[in-house]
Amino acid sequence: MNRTTKAVSVAAVLLSLSWTGCTDPTVAPKSSVTSANIFNDPNSYRAFIAKIYGGLIVTGQRGPDGNPDIGGIDEGFGEYLRLYWYLQEMPTDEAVIGWNDPGLGDLNRGIWGPSNSMVNAMYYRVFYQIMLANEFLRQSTDAKLDARGQNDPTLRTNVHFYRAEARFLRALSYWHGIDLFGAIPLVTEADPLGVPPKQISRDSVYRFVVTELNAVVGALPPAGASTYGRATPAAAHMLLAKLYLNAGIYTGTANYAGAVTEAAAVIAAGYSLDTSFVHNFQADNNTSPELIFVAAQDGGGTQTWGGMTFLIHAGCGGSMSAGTYGVDYCWGGYRMKQQIYRLFAAGDKRAAFFWTTGQTDSVADIGNFSNGIAAPKFTNKKSTGANGTQMGMVDTDFPIFRLADAYLIYVEANIRGGGGSAATALGYLNAIRQRAYGSTSANFAALPPVDTLLAERGRELMFEAGRRTDLVRFGLFSTATYVWAWKNNVPGGAALAAGRDLYPLPANELIANPNLQQNPGY
Amino acid sequence: MKPLLQIISLAGLAVLCAAPLCAQQAGAVRGRVTDQATQQPLSGVTVTVANRSALSQADGRYFIAGVAAGSYTLRARMIGYGLVDQPITVGSDTALVDVTLTGQAIGLSAVVVTGYGEQRKGDITGAVTAVTDSEFNTGRVISPQMLIQSKVAGVQVVDNNEPGGGLSIRIRGATSVNASSEPLYVIDGVPLGNGAGGGLSVQGRDPLNFLSPGDVEDITVLRDASAAAIYGSNAANGVVLITTKSGKGRHGGGFEYTSSASASSVTKVPEMLNAAQFATAVAAYAPARSALLLGANTDWFSLIGRTATGQEHNVSFTNGTDDMGYRLSLGYLNQDGIIRASSTERLSVGINYQQRLFRDRLSLRTSVRGSRTLDHFTPGGVLGNAAGMAPTQPALDPTSSTGYWDWNTTNASPSNPLASIALARDHGTTWRSVGNAQASYALPFLEGLTANVNLGYDLAKSDRTTFIPNNLAAEVRQRHGLFYIANNTQANSVLEMYGTYAPARTAGPGTVSLTGGYSYTQSHGEFPWLQATDLRTNLLGDNGVPGAANITNVRDIVDYKLISFFGRANYNISDKYLAAVSVRHDGSSRFGPGNQWGTFPSVALAWRLSGEDFMRGKWGLSDLKLRASWARTGNQAFGDYLQYATYTYSDAQSQVWFGDQFVTTIRPSAVDTAIHWEKTSSYNAGVDFGFSNQRYYGTFDWYTKNTSDLIFTVPVCAQCNLSNFVTTNIGSMKNRGFELSLNARLIERRPSGLSWTASLTASHNTNELVSINPNQSVSKILRGNISGGVGNLIQVLQPGVPINSFFVFEQKYDATGKPIYDNATPTNMYVDRNGDGVINDSDRRPFHDPSPKWILGHSSYFTAGRLDASFTVRAYLGNYVYNNVASSNGAYQNLTGSGMPSNLHASVLKTGFVVPQYYSDFFVENASFLRVDNINIGYNFSYRGQPFRVYGTVQNAFTITGYSGVDPTSGLNGIDNNIYPRSRTITTGLNVRF
Repeated sequence: MNRTTKAVSVAAVLLSLSWTGCTDPTVAPKSSVTSANIFNDPNSYRAFIAKIYGGLIVTGQRGPDGNPDIGGIDEGFGEYLRLYWYLQEMPTDEAVIGWNDPGLGDLNRGIWGPSNSMVNAMYYRVFYQIMLANEFLRQSTDAKLDARGQNDPTLRTNVHFYRAEARFLRALSYWHGIDLFGAIPLVTEADPLGVPPKQISRDSVYRFVVTELNAVVGALPPAGASTYGRATPAAAHMLLAKLYLNAGIYTGTANYAGAVTEAAAVIAAGYSLDTSFVHNFQADNNTSPELIFVAAQDGGGTQTWGGMTFLIHAGCGGSMSAGTYGVDYCWGGYRMKQQIYRLFAAGDKRAAFFWTTGQTDSVADIGNFSNGIAAPKFTNKKSTGANGTQMGMVDTDFPIFRLADAYLIYVEANIRGGGGSAATALGYLNAIRQRAYGSTSANFAALPPVDTLLAERGRELMFEAGRRTDLVRFGLFSTATYVWAWKNNVPGGAALAAGRDLYPLPANELIANPNLQQNPGY
Repeated sequence: MKPLLQIISLAGLAVLCAAPLCAQQAGAVRGRVTDQATQQPLSGVTVTVANRSALSQADGRYFIAGVAAGSYTLRARMIGYGLVDQPITVGSDTALVDVTLTGQAIGLSAVVVTGYGEQRKGDITGAVTAVTDSEFNTGRVISPQMLIQSKVAGVQVVDNNEPGGGLSIRIRGATSVNASSEPLYVIDGVPLGNGAGGGLSVQGRDPLNFLSPGDVEDITVLRDASAAAIYGSNAANGVVLITTKSGKGRHGGGFEYTSSASASSVTKVPEMLNAAQFATAVAAYAPARSALLLGANTDWFSLIGRTATGQEHNVSFTNGTDDMGYRLSLGYLNQDGIIRASSTERLSVGINYQQRLFRDRLSLRTSVRGSRTLDHFTPGGVLGNAAGMAPTQPALDPTSSTGYWDWNTTNASPSNPLASIALARDHGTTWRSVGNAQASYALPFLEGLTANVNLGYDLAKSDRTTFIPNNLAAEVRQRHGLFYIANNTQANSVLEMYGTYAPARTAGPGTVSLTGGYSYTQSHGEFPWLQATDLRTNLLGDNGVPGAANITNVRDIVDYKLISFFGRANYNISDKYLAAVSVRHDGSSRFGPGNQWGTFPSVALAWRLSGEDFMRGKWGLSDLKLRASWARTGNQAFGDYLQYATYTYSDAQSQVWFGDQFVTTIRPSAVDTAIHWEKTSSYNAGVDFGFSNQRYYGTFDWYTKNTSDLIFTVPVCAQCNLSNFVTTNIGSMKNRGFELSLNARLIERRPSGLSWTASLTASHNTNELVSINPNQSVSKILRGNISGGVGNLIQVLQPGVPINSFFVFEQKYDATGKPIYDNATPTNMYVDRNGDGVINDSDRRPFHDPSPKWILGHSSYFTAGRLDASFTVRAYLGNYVYNNVASSNGAYQNLTGSGMPSNLHASVLKTGFVVPQYYSDFFVENASFLRVDNINIGYNFSYRGQPFRVYGTVQNAFTITGYSGVDPTSGLNGIDNNIYPRSRTITTGLNVRF
């Protein structure tokens, strides 16, 4: 072996050993941020609370789709408020859609099962919000802020507001959860991830939500220029009013007095009925004085296939022209069932936008858009007649709570014996009637029987995602007392199967969490 | 990993110490072993004198020391060759004895490339199939994988029909659901990245297109896990080893030029209604719209299709001396697609260089190849619109802004596919270079010990540009134009160092060979892309966007590292008892601390019964070998950084209005920080057999593969994580099957040059998803997006059935065999499986799946004088396809929707469906088929002393199938939704050598 060979061999061996010293395969992400550093940026707290608000209307981190929050469902119709709308409107006397989207037909016909993808996705959307809120509450404690050196007093003040807002949003989703599904698990920021939680009674979740709302109502940011689209104390009062109004359903014990008190608190907060009913559903409805809490949409900045994008496009079809509603084209989706259509009397301006050309009054064929009168209540036109910023995506905000609903809650709770002033109640009811008719001609002389309130709520709040809750409260949703087209899969309508006042827990969820008990009847 | 390193080092030392370094005694024997026919040196021949043996080295030389003086019988033995016994006399010095061996069953002595080494075919203990260039498919072959389609039992090569389109290979079925099921590709010893085709390419084209098939010498498929396990974490789906052509030394030098021209035509398009049928349907179901029909008779598919031409030229030059050789190659390919606007064009260069130095102790091999591929794509939606556009409407309209006729409507409707082809642009350019330098040094102080270093790189840059002008009908309605550009780059580097020790002397009763090494792979990718919609002008076309309302700009950086230690020991007793043990220890950046390292062992044993005395000469057997193996391999071919709890920022279109301003939001990801390897445990048992000196030979393998810790994006309890789906290790899957391959030289007449060689392969695989959930319950996950409606999913992942089984209603049929349609009462139409009186999701059930249960292949090669011919036939049995064109277009409701009437699939004439019945099992069709893939005829002659060959090839000559759609083979997912049609290609070519 000559010297060169030796040198080469030794060098090769050394080189080899030095390379084999490289035994750490760790690679840190470069173009993504992780939990380790994100909250060092003080803007992250606002970005996170905004995400929880956004969870009601956008479906992921790319608009209108492409990076979804939840899986197992098409991103477009897996949007929170669109699902909520489906579950609250489709099986009722109000809406029908002929699309073949998975699970939708079963909602039309009242025959959904525990694998229904719309029902399942709603459950996951509800808890997605709750889990985000819990994570936010874990990450934004004073102790965490101290540890990260986030001592700017303005930031501290804002984070305290954000925490109250996160708790409000969690309460809102818990309300949806108990209203739709009954007994569900209760998880808070104190519960660890990864452990399937226990299911607790509907009553217990209800009490948690009420306690939470009472705790945060004073801590929410006061209404003002910087709170549009955010939860203010009035929003918390409104949510409490809705909880109390339905307390009999949730707990077995009614609380109409609570409903009156909370509705009065909302009404006292400075909102007023918009002189134009339809302005509440137009592209510039952010200027309506009537909206208490909205999910804000914007054709440019907040794009989604759900929410108002869905409601405006899907309400248009048949011989209608999409341009009339400020959108690019009609999806040919929902129409009215004859039962809700027939509630509207002549002269009611809330029926002014109905589209009858080429439409029949009755829904004989769900799949045919011409069956059922169309009611394009929502539009992407501004009150000035101008279009929204875009015609594909819309500017119209989704009204979650509006004052007219607070009026009707006050009236109904008063009639049901919740106290307050009957005269005030009559005044609220007539304020709504007067706006609807443009005159006092349709005013009530005295408070009507409570059933009339169901009809009035149908006329005033049609397609605003509350109908199922109302029908359940009036004991009419699943019974044979009141039937509508295709109820229980019969053209003329029949009682729903037992247990349909509640939706089933997702079949997958029962497997993933053995603690869960399915709702009776499924 | 320190302990392992120590073990390897200690093992190395032990070998060094045990080797008798200079135990020379009185006499010795040396000499050279050569092949009698070729006069070439033979390595690996066991030469025995008395009780001492040695193996001949690469140059054929052997040396046996310590032989006492006297007379002996020298025995030289190698698999595939006749045994030679030669009397010799050894004196006090070195006797020189050259030996010549005569080939018998040559096939068994063929050298097969395996991971980190080579083996004689007859000594292989695993299920390994090598396909050499003489057996390759011919004609217009763009991607190298197509060379072996239907040539290897158990290997399914799936193309997407586009020129150069993305290919998938399934070896013994799919082993994963969310991770890749593609094999690992290794080119000249350099492992490429994982995923389909290994590496980066423009989306929709195969990454291996950079490699001109003309440069491929052979392709070896490591089918079973024991053969593949040396590649550890990337081996679960098998390994495909590609060896490129290299210089042949002093022999076989010179130029070679091959050239071919081809013409391709469309074989089949969807059966849509013709103009008269369509007008009748509109009159019956949408009479108010009859007035919209313009009475034209347009066959949209014939307008978007074409006879596509292609050409290919390859020039190579090889030369060399005894010590070196090189090959330069230059290739050009240009192939148009049968749908207008699609094509691929490739320019490729390659250099292979090898050099032996220091009296052949140092061997250097270098290979560098590069290519530029220019791809044009048919703009999106053209095929769907050709199906949907009404045949009664004209193609052209000189009065419109595009010059093409389109429906004048604001509602979603089919649009003119010719306008897209003429005005939209979609193309990509891929530059890629892969190369390596390999040095192998036979260490002087210990015979048989070789050190190897292999440095490899893989650089790729891929651009894709899409431009859709804002005046196309569909854009006018909705998006108002699209401009998209992605500039992806990826740089991978590989360093591998390993030693092999194959001592010339026996160790115990047999010979041992050891391999041990280290491998370091890193990858850096940058993926920036820009998308603009709502274009202000079309003026600049695909060159850029002067103005747009929405612009999204994203840049992703992905880094990846894989560090490995590996070792293998082979033990061979008289070519009769063979054992191989290997282990690989991999550390991957795709897992968090504590889960980064995985160990992947394998054991394989073989017994060559035909080598036993009691079997010698029985039944004309030339080979009979039983094999059995077990191995555990891994899979980590999925996204990076899954172990990190990342936060995602919203884009400009998904901000949230927060009080008085838009806020960009952040979203925490659902994460399983404990994510770890997918593991596949495989058992293989096989038998290799051959008769009449391997004139007839074959192999049979039975296997079972159990994949556990399946990485799966699964639903988790709604309160368990930060989303309802988490990617985690849950679930297991099983593949079982067997493979048979038979080969025969049926006719072999040397003097007349008449010969017929035939091969037959058959494989059977059954897949079963065993569990997707820790509770092993009835949970299922729906997947498989289809067109029609929104968000409809047609397939299911459900324990107990194969993955991606179709999930459908059971259609009822009337007495005439016509599907019953009764939308008002679905129970009349479908079987109410749970008997609850309603038809809903609970009445859908898993029903067949897309993967073939049987794959059969046959190849025949004929020669007769100057003529040669070959053909390849392939058949699949038991594969099912969901005919999505029929299900979404085969319903009269498409005439009455809010959009303009859309053409109907001819199935509607049979079904009478008014509302689409997406979930009817009527649309799940048996797509078993028999296809003549390839017919080739060549003629060889010489002109002025130079050999010439001319040939003609027909690819996809014909297909026999009961499937009613476009192509029973397209795609792995079994959903036929406006797929690119299959072409029949006729190629003529010329090969010259000078």
